[in-house]
Amino acid sequence: MKARVVVSYLIIIAMGAVWAIPLYAMVVGSLKNLSEVMTSSVLSPPTAIDPSNLASAAGRLAVPLLNTAIVVIPVALAAAFVGAMGAYALMRLAGSIRDGLITGIAVATYLPYQVALVPLVDFMKTLGLYNTLPGLALAFSIFYIPFATLMMFIFMTALPRQVVEAAEIDGASDFTLFRSVVLPLMGPGYVSTAIFLTIQGWNNLFIPLVLTRGYGKHVMLTLFSFTGQTGNVYNQMYAAALIASLPPLLVFVALGRYFIRGLLALGTGGKA
Amino acid sequence: MKTQLFFLIPALFFAGVLYYFMLWNVYISITNYSILHPRPQLVGLETFASLFSDPDFVSALARTLLWVVVLVAAGNLIAILVASAIYNIESLRARNAATAFFIYPLAVSLAASGIIWRWLFDPDRGIDAALGAKILWLQGDNAFWSAALVSVWVYAGLGVLFYLAMFYNVDRSQIESAYIDGAGTLSVMLRVVLPQSRQALIIATVFYTLFALQMFDLPYTMLFLNPFVSTLVIYTFFKFATLYFATASATAVVILALSAAIVIPYSMFGFRKWLRI
Repeated sequence: MKARVVVSYLIIIAMGAVWAIPLYAMVVGSLKNLSEVMTSSVLSPPTAIDPSNLASAAGRLAVPLLNTAIVVIPVALAAAFVGAMGAYALMRLAGSIRDGLITGIAVATYLPYQVALVPLVDFMKTLGLYNTLPGLALAFSIFYIPFATLMMFIFMTALPRQVVEAAEIDGASDFTLFRSVVLPLMGPGYVSTAIFLTIQGWNNLFIPLVLTRGYGKHVMLTLFSFTGQTGNVYNQMYAAALIASLPPLLVFVALGRYFIRGLLALGTGGKA
Repeated sequence: MKTQLFFLIPALFFAGVLYYFMLWNVYISITNYSILHPRPQLVGLETFASLFSDPDFVSALARTLLWVVVLVAAGNLIAILVASAIYNIESLRARNAATAFFIYPLAVSLAASGIIWRWLFDPDRGIDAALGAKILWLQGDNAFWSAALVSVWVYAGLGVLFYLAMFYNVDRSQIESAYIDGAGTLSVMLRVVLPQSRQALIIATVFYTLFALQMFDLPYTMLFLNPFVSTLVIYTFFKFATLYFATASATAVVILALSAAIVIPYSMFGFRKWLRI
C-alpha cells in the first residue's frame, strides 16, 4: 500500500474513533444496571447487561414517539410533495420573476426559524392551536414547505430539460406534465427531501418546547425531561436518548445516501 | 400559466407566513410588550437600548459570535483533514462508508447529543477518568469550549461532504501530472486540490455560521440555563419564557440581522450562481 493511503487510513481511524465515542457510550451506558452506573465510567463496558432501562424508557417514550410520528412523517411527506409542485411551477416560470421568488424562498429557508418565536406562539394561540398536535404540524409545515420547495427546486435544476420540453411540444397540460413526466423523474429527490424533513422534525426540540406544555407531545421534550429527573444516573438518560434517536438513526442507516444527497443539494446543487 | 400559479400558491403562502412572522417580530421589538404591558405600546428603540445595556445579553452576543469563529475555524480545519484523508483512499466503498460515518452525528438529535456529552464530560465518570486527567470540562468558562467542541463533532461531517464533493470535481490529470513531477501528497492537496475547492470553504462557512447563530438545543440540554453557555437563542428563549416578549423579539431581530448579513448575499449571488439558473 502507498504511504499516503496508510496515512489516510490512520487519520480516518483516529478521528473515527473520537467520532464513535458518543455512540458507543450511549449504547453501553443504556445497558448498565443501577449499581454499575454509580461507580463505573461511561466508557467502560457493562459487566452485566440490564435491559430494564431500555424497557422503562420505551414505556415512557411510547406515546410521545407515536405523537411525533403522526405529526412529523405526514408533514414531511406532504411538504415534499407541495414543494415539488412549487418547484415545478418555478421551473416553468422564467426571468426575473422566478429569480426573485427563488431568492425570497431561499432567504426564508436559510434564516434561523428561532427568530419567529414570539409571533409563532401568538399566532398559534390566536388560532387556538397552542399546545395541540395540529398546531405542531402547522408550525412544522410553515417552516418546512418553503424549505422543501427550495430543495425540490435544486433537484429539479439537475433534471434534463429536454424531457420536459419534449412533452411540452406534445401539447401536454401542466397537470399531465407534472404527474407523468416530472414526478417519476423526481422520485429520488422526493425521497431525499422527505427523509431530510423527517429527521429534522423528529430531532427538533425548539418548536415543541415553545408551542406545547408538558413533555408528552414530542419525543425530544420527553427525552429532555429525563435530564431533570434522574439526577446522578446516566443509564436511564442514555436509554431514553437511544430510543428517541433510534428512528432517525435507522432511517439514516437504511436510506443514508438519500439524506446525504439532500445535504449535498442544499450546499452544492443537485448535480453531485 | 394559471396551473403554474396554482402549483405555486402553497409554497408562496407558507413563505409569506414566514416573512409575516419576521415583520411581526420586528414590530413587537419596538413595543413594550411583556407581562407588565400585555397591551403593547410603541416605544421606539427603547427595548434595544435596554437590551444592549444588559450584560447578560452582551455576553450572550459575544459568546455567540465567538461560537461562530470556533465552529467556522475548527469545523473547516477538521473537515479539510478528514476529507483529504478520505479522498486519498483508493477503495470507493471505503470512501463512501467513511463519508457516511462522519455524517452520522447530523442524524442524531442535538438533544440526545447534549445528554450523551454531558456525561462524557462528567468529572468522575466521564472521559476524564479514562484520560486519568482532571480537565473539568463543564466548569466555568471550560463549559463554553466543551460545548463548542461538541458542536464541531456534530457539524464537521457536513463540511467533509462539501469538501469531498469539490475534491471529486478537480481534474484528475492535473493531479496525476503533479505526482509525475515528483510532488508529495501534501503538496498536491495544498497546491492543486484545495485551491480549486474554495466553494466548499464558502458553503461550509455559511452553514457553520448559521448553525452557530442558532445554537440552542445543544447547550440547553447539556447545561440548561448555564450562564457560561448562554447564546442569543437561549437568551431569547429565556426572555420569552419569563414573558418579556419585546425583549425576546428584539434579541430575535439581532439574530435576524446577523443571519441576514450571511443569508441574503448567499441566496442572491453564490447559491444561484452555483445552480446555474
